[in-house]
Amino acid sequence: MPSRPIRVAAGATAVIAALVLLITLSKSNSDKTSSPSSGKVTTIVIKHGKPVGGIAQLTYNEGETVRFKVDSDVSDEVHMHGYDIMKDVKAGGSVSFAFPATLEGVFEAELEGRKEQILELTVNP
Amino acid sequence: MIGLALPVAHALVARKDLPIPAWLFAWGASLVLIVSFFALSALWQTPRLEDERWRPLGRRLSRALLSLPVRALCGAVGVALLGFSIYAGLHGTEAPDRNFALTFLFVTVWLGFPLFSVVFGDVFRPFNPWRAIGRTVGGAFAAIAGQRPAHLSYPSRLGRWPAAAGLLAVVWLEVVYGVNGGVAVGVEPHATAIAALVYSLYTLLMMTLFGVEKWCETGEVFSVYFGMFARLGIFELRDGRFGRRLPLTSSTRWATVPGSTAVVIASIASTSFDGAQEGAFKGAIVQVFEWLSDTGLSLTTSLRLANTIFMLLTFAGVGLVYLIGVRGMESVRGAPPLEKLRSGFAHTLIPIAFAYLVAHYFSLFVFQEQAQFGYLLSDPLGTGTTDLFGTASAGIDFKVLSANAIWYVQVGALVIGHVVGLTLAHDRATAYWGDYRQAARSQYWMLAVMVAFTCFGLYLLSVANS
Repeated sequence: MPSRPIRVAAGATAVIAALVLLITLSKSNSDKTSSPSSGKVTTIVIKHGKPVGGIAQLTYNEGETVRFKVDSDVSDEVHMHGYDIMKDVKAGGSVSFAFPATLEGVFEAELEGRKEQILELTVNP
Repeated sequence: MIGLALPVAHALVARKDLPIPAWLFAWGASLVLIVSFFALSALWQTPRLEDERWRPLGRRLSRALLSLPVRALCGAVGVALLGFSIYAGLHGTEAPDRNFALTFLFVTVWLGFPLFSVVFGDVFRPFNPWRAIGRTVGGAFAAIAGQRPAHLSYPSRLGRWPAAAGLLAVVWLEVVYGVNGGVAVGVEPHATAIAALVYSLYTLLMMTLFGVEKWCETGEVFSVYFGMFARLGIFELRDGRFGRRLPLTSSTRWATVPGSTAVVIASIASTSFDGAQEGAFKGAIVQVFEWLSDTGLSLTTSLRLANTIFMLLTFAGVGLVYLIGVRGMESVRGAPPLEKLRSGFAHTLIPIAFAYLVAHYFSLFVFQEQAQFGYLLSDPLGTGTTDLFGTASAGIDFKVLSANAIWYVQVGALVIGHVVGLTLAHDRATAYWGDYRQAARSQYWMLAVMVAFTCFGLYLLSVANS
């Protein structure tokens, strides 16, 4: 058996290391936790084929209804990956999405023709 | 956002994993610590895994498995699949998720064979297309010339270093190369096919120079990489007989070839990097990318360079953690020379490398294999008009795995990999140190190394990709 002080020291080091990791982790998590998007209808505005303000982030729990609207100045097809919902949008037009969040995970919506990601949808269990 | 990292895995699959929640991370990490300390005080005092206790299974089974028709068939299947992948890559669609080549090479083969190898033994060997070509050509040469082809003697110091470098190159192609104007798009089928052609030429050349079997043992990336995982399992074809051995035991002799340590470290590092690229390292990569592009480099070069730097840093970091552990063990009384310690504990990282693979790619594999055996089988070139088996319109059922199921598999894989690695290290220590007390003391260092890798793995899984 190894001597007691060494064992205690090693144990303490390991526990401290784990704690430090945990703290940095929970901190970085709380920084980026976006508020749940249920109830709201987010509008993603597309200018010159790119989402204004970067890729939109939507977070739902399973079973809720995902709602968002795309206002686009270009004509393209909006593809909600994973759920595989496709809707065409005309230049200057808009298109609305409303579907139940039945799949857990992280999914992208793209302007399919341009391969431009406009939305990251997170569905938590 | 510029510099969005999108490695091939994510170009393929529409559903990405949710980060593991903080409470599960905490439980996983605590479990690792508790298990580790319990293991240290409760494990055995004399080596038990150094003896393989290999015993051959039925002679008839061996004869069937090694018969010429079976070998020829396996080799032909391997060559045909490689050839078809290259064809699909060159002539099929450039949409990564609709082309047979990407899913087959990067998911079915690259992620599938480590799993098959652990379960069934070194199954890549009979299907290895380059080995099949090399042996056929070698056989024809011998038949015509009446003598075996002569080879250069392979520099033994080089060992498995070419395989380690090749492993990094494959992953580099997969997660770094595919860039378009500062935006990572993942590698495309055409580029993958070209890379496969170049690699085939290189491999056949090396086989001509050094001999087929020699190159498969040391330099051929896929043989070495998949063969490493096969060492964990119980089945082996040895000296013309098919047999079984105690689990894990064969790994204890794996790292005797120089450069093996680099191979297993490259494996852990490349999986880590793939996981961290979009998560933990993302901010830093974007910063380096912006800094590089400010110096006047093109966006594409800057992003590739930034990712390459971080990939190499990950390799160096993983290697450093291991080397610190080895240094630490050297300080314990009665330690063997540093050289021996360095290669002597390398195999203890194989289970961790495997656990990293399972944790990072399990869900991708499950989802993408549905595509492989569904629409990619019926419409391999992604033309939209072919339907060979009537499955061209089949989709991927993302509901087969819930987020919770994925999390438990991920954490479970890391904890189990940790325990197995720890067990191997403990066993090796009892073999190296005659005195059990010193052996146990040396293992505080390996314990620290393993805890570091496992907690790092958990951490990578818990960081949200963005």
